Amino acid sequence: MDTLKIADREFTSRLFIGTGKYASNEIMARAIATSGTQMVTVALRRVDIENENDNLLAAIDRSKYLLLPNTSGARDAAEAVRLARLARAASGIRWIKLEVTPDPYYLLPDGTETLKAAEILVKDGFVVLPYINADPILAKRLQDVGTATVMPLAAPIGSNQGLQTRAALEIIIEQATVPVVVDAGLGLPSHAADAMEIGADAVLVNTAIAAAADPVAMAAAFKLAVEAGRIARLAGSAQRSRTASASSPLTGFLRDDKP
Amino acid sequence: MNTTLRINGNDKQFPQDRAPKTLAELLAELKIDQATVVAEIDGRIVERKDFASAALQPGQSIELVRFVGGG
Repeated sequence: MDTLKIADREFTSRLFIGTGKYASNEIMARAIATSGTQMVTVALRRVDIENENDNLLAAIDRSKYLLLPNTSGARDAAEAVRLARLARAASGIRWIKLEVTPDPYYLLPDGTETLKAAEILVKDGFVVLPYINADPILAKRLQDVGTATVMPLAAPIGSNQGLQTRAALEIIIEQATVPVVVDAGLGLPSHAADAMEIGADAVLVNTAIAAAADPVAMAAAFKLAVEAGRIARLAGSAQRSRTASASSPLTGFLRDDKP
Repeated sequence: MNTTLRINGNDKQFPQDRAPKTLAELLAELKIDQATVVAEIDGRIVERKDFASAALQPGQSIELVRFVGGG
């Protein structure tokens, strides 16, 4: 597949993977490997000092996968900036998935606070990948302050609804000068292919794979779907029409037409 | 007399003569692998390379965080 460049990194896989909700680190590691991804998201949380044994990073080969820490849990710009700086200290890298979600019911991102945090983090040297609602104007404002991508949602996080925001996504894709990563709400490989066919540069998938009955097999399916969607986009789709357009010749039928 | 440190939002008591003097000592006391965590003391980030030299004072608020699965 053709490569995708984000900031100074090139990706041959256009499927990014979230690491939440897996039944075990072992299944997660196999799903990540099968997906062919080159970038995985992680979250930052307080250590449980009474019961500290889970070491997520031991299950992620950082020579193969770029770590993309997120600011999940942040309710405003200040909390997001604090989490981003902690993540940088923890990971040693300056990439951050910026998300500010004050409402826990729909987890919709706060565009005003996201823009405010993005400005601070870009100035602080971060490579900022902001999670946003499918808002073409906000996408422009973010790319103007120097974010490395925009990551509009297809549907609420973990909702598996597919491209509910299609019309707005198409406008963002048409206008963006930075890569567009469709993030959140993709529930099936066909949804991911759909996003790639309308011209998304990449997709980010977590729940649809992690919560599948067989996450490793679902990771394989998403890999194929993202590749198929990307190849189809580059191939250029044939024209859609309301009426039929015969594929077989409309002459030489085995009958005598009456004059 | 005990020494109190506030760790991840909860007060934790240490006997005064055995209270951890640095962040590295605190992590060892809590049996937490240094390589997996990042810390703040009173809202100020402490880089991992500075854990051994980061002195702790009674009453300080310490955050210990690490990466977990997330989307």
